[in-house]
Order: sequence, then structure tokens, then C-alpha cells
Amino acid sequence: MNMAGIVCRTLSRVVSSQTSCCSSVVSVRHSHWFTSILSPKTSVPLRAEPKKKKKVDPRREQMMKERLKKKLKKLERVPPELIPIEDFITTAKCFDETRVREVPKLSFEETERRALLLKHWSRYKFSQHQAEMAEIKEALEAQRQALEELKIESEDLYKAAIGPDTDLFPFQHQGPCYTPPIPNYEAPDGKYNDITRVYTQ
Amino acid sequence: MAAPFRCIYRPLWRVITGSGRLTVGMRNISFTENHFSATNHKTASVGSPWTLHGAVCLQRLPVISQDRNPIEEEFSGLMQQMELERSLLSDHELRLLEDAARMSRKQEEDYDSDEEEDYGDKEIVTAQDLEDAWEQKLKQFHPAQRSNGDKLDVSSSERCLADSLVLLIKQDVGSQKVWLLPQVQWKAGETLRQTAERALAHLPADVKATFLGNAPCGFYKYKYPKDIQKEGSVGAKVFFFKAVMCSPNHLPLEKNSFAWVKKDELKDFLTPEYLKQVNRFIMSL
Repeated sequence: MNMAGIVCRTLSRVVSSQTSCCSSVVSVRHSHWFTSILSPKTSVPLRAEPKKKKKVDPRREQMMKERLKKKLKKLERVPPELIPIEDFITTAKCFDETRVREVPKLSFEETERRALLLKHWSRYKFSQHQAEMAEIKEALEAQRQALEELKIESEDLYKAAIGPDTDLFPFQHQGPCYTPPIPNYEAPDGKYNDITRVYTQ
Repeated sequence: MAAPFRCIYRPLWRVITGSGRLTVGMRNISFTENHFSATNHKTASVGSPWTLHGAVCLQRLPVISQDRNPIEEEFSGLMQQMELERSLLSDHELRLLEDAARMSRKQEEDYDSDEEEDYGDKEIVTAQDLEDAWEQKLKQFHPAQRSNGDKLDVSSSERCLADSLVLLIKQDVGSQKVWLLPQVQWKAGETLRQTAERALAHLPADVKATFLGNAPCGFYKYKYPKDIQKEGSVGAKVFFFKAVMCSPNHLPLEKNSFAWVKKDELKDFLTPEYLKQVNRFIMSL
């Protein structure tokens, strides 16, 4: 540090001997190579050291990044949490004991009536099903015979008949309701708050 | 071993005996009208003594649900009863019970209003009040009548809303006027489905109908009486195509020539032989 001070002084004397104007002395003082004597003598020589760190730091930073990436990969390997199916979870409300309904005890006649009605119903439904199946079978048979006749008549018409109908699907039809639709009816606006839970994986 | 062998065998057999029909079948999907009309002239019923007709079986599907049978009524009542017995109390019912308990507590002599913490000066809306308000709102809505009674004629399509109806027409066949499904003679150069569509268009009423597929659902053949038999035509073959009416049609049709008819009523209109064939594909489901 003393050497630095001596260097500064000699240099300033050299410069001032060459040019005797104050501005040059001032400009010399303000240039970065010549620090003032009074300031702490730390700046110029220490700049030589950071050149060593340039090799070590990038390597260190790289190592840090790799470690972080590995940790992230380990975390990502965990399989995503499955979205719960809300239909399969019985709500806590169902296990509430205050909600149990008082069931009146059924008489013997009532249980008999119920059993007989259930059997009658199963017989009725079976006969209904048989009738439906027979009707469908009959209709299919009629169609098959019609196509056979058409084939006998003309091959081209037959081929056109068994070709697919592209305009049919998607097919839409308003099914039966309890009361017929009112003509020119303006339905009131239905406002609702949608509280469905949306899960993201 | 046999099954896979059979799969490979069949197309080869068809190629050998079908005179190249396999390749024509594959082109069937992109079968355009131009292609058809070009080939039609060669093969159109050459030598066949039957004239072809296309007919449309136009159905108006039910608009309202059917009334229940006695057995169905009984069973639905039983099901509701059983479900009620096996269920838990809902929020609304709990509220009703609480309100009833609170009312009974209020009516007791040693009632202390300080015990009721929550309400203070607020108006208490009981669950019963809510129920009454809802009933009032329901009464304000007037739905349309389920059954129109017997006011409507056979020619109106608003007749039996709970059943599916079929359109019948009174047409001249030979010298007589006969009730039958709308039919029109087939012209060369069109598919039978197009004939059926033409038959539909010939009706004075403007109906929008969707045809259910290209294939006919039934056929009926009859011979002409001998004096009318022209050269080369012994009789006629009618192919029926099913169609479903899209939008309700309110245009009134002539009473004597049009009828919307249920399946059971068909026997009052159609001749027995015709009825036998038509009954096969008209479903009362």
C-alpha cells in the first residue's frame, strides 16, 4: 500500500511538471487509475483476484441447477392423485343418527299383499317383454322378405336399398312428456348457482 | 382352426361365383345418383311382370306418456311406499320436525323466550310456509290438457297423443277408392326411397319427415284383375318405407281422404290382405 502511494505521488508529480494547469491535476485525480491518497487503498490491486472465481462459480452453479432438476424429477415421478368419484363416496349426512326414519311395523296381510303384487308384476313384465320381442322379430322378418323380393325384382334397386343412409345420423326426436307442449310458450329464465367441484390433476 | 379359415374362404368364394360383385359392393358406400341412373336403364325390371310402387308409412310418434294400467298403478304405489320406508329423513323434513317441536314448546306455559338464542326479532320462516309458497307457485302454471277427448276427427294429427299414429290416404286403385298408405308408381332412374319421398311430397299437407334408412320395411303384391292386366304387367308390388314426422303439423286435411290412425283402428280402414302385411311392420310400442 505504501508502494501504491509512492507510485501515485511520483506519477502526479510527473504529470504536473509536464502540464501546470489545475485542470490536469484535477483530471488526473478523477481518473480511475489514480486514486486519492486519502481514500482506502483497496480498489485497484484487488481486481486481479475475481479472475480465479470465474471458473469455479459457473461449475458450482451448474451443480446446483442439476441437483434442483434431479429433485424436481423425483417429485414429478410420483403418480398424480386420483380424482375422487363423488358418486362413490357416501356423504357424512347419511350416517347421521338423527335422520333415521321411524318405520311402522308391517302387518301380515300387508307383507302378503306385497309379495303377491311383486310376483304378479314379474309375470306381467315377462309377458310384455315376450310381446315386444315377438313384434320386433316380426318387423325384421318383414324387412328381410321385402329385401328378398326387391332383389328378385332388380339388382340395382336392391343395392341402393342396402347401402348406408348418411343423412340419418345424428338423429334427434323430442320424446313423450307428461303433458303436451304449450304452443308459443315462453319459459321463464332459470337462474342457478353451479356448485360442482372441479378437480385438476 | 376352422373359424379363421372360413373367414378367408368366404370372400374368395364370392369373387369366384359373384362375377365381380365383391368390388362393386365395396364401392357401395360412395354410390352416387349419377352412377345409379347410368346403370339403371340396363337392368330395370327387364322382363319382370310386376310394376313397382313406393309407399311411405308416415308415423306421428307419441307426444305424451301413456296412462298406467291398474297393475302398473298399484306397483308404482308400492314402489313409492317401499322407497319411503327405506329412506332417511331429508333436510326439509328435519326442518319441519324442528319447527313442529318449537311450536309445541312455545305453546307450553313455562316457555322462556330467552332460551331461543338464534332468532331474536327476525321473522321466522317455517318450512311449512315455504311449502305453501311453492304450492301457490305451482298452481299459477297451467299445463296443456293431456287428452283432447273425442272432439278431434280422424283426420287431425293431434288425436291420440299417447299413441303413435299412421297416415292413411283414400286413393283410386283401378275403379275403386281404397284406403291405403300413400303410394306412387316408381319411375326409372330413381331409387325406391326417392319414390317414397315423392309419395310424401304429393300429399297436400307440408310435412317434414325423416326417413329411417334406405331399406324398405315391408312389401305387398297384388295382381290386377284380368281385364286391366296390360301387356307385361301382371300386378303391382308395393314397397313400404318408414318415416317419422319431425314437427307437428297443424294444417287441416280433408276428412274423407286422410286419416291418422292407431294400430288397432287399422282394421276398420284397410282390406284384410293388405292389413296382414302392414301389421307386420307397424309397431304399437
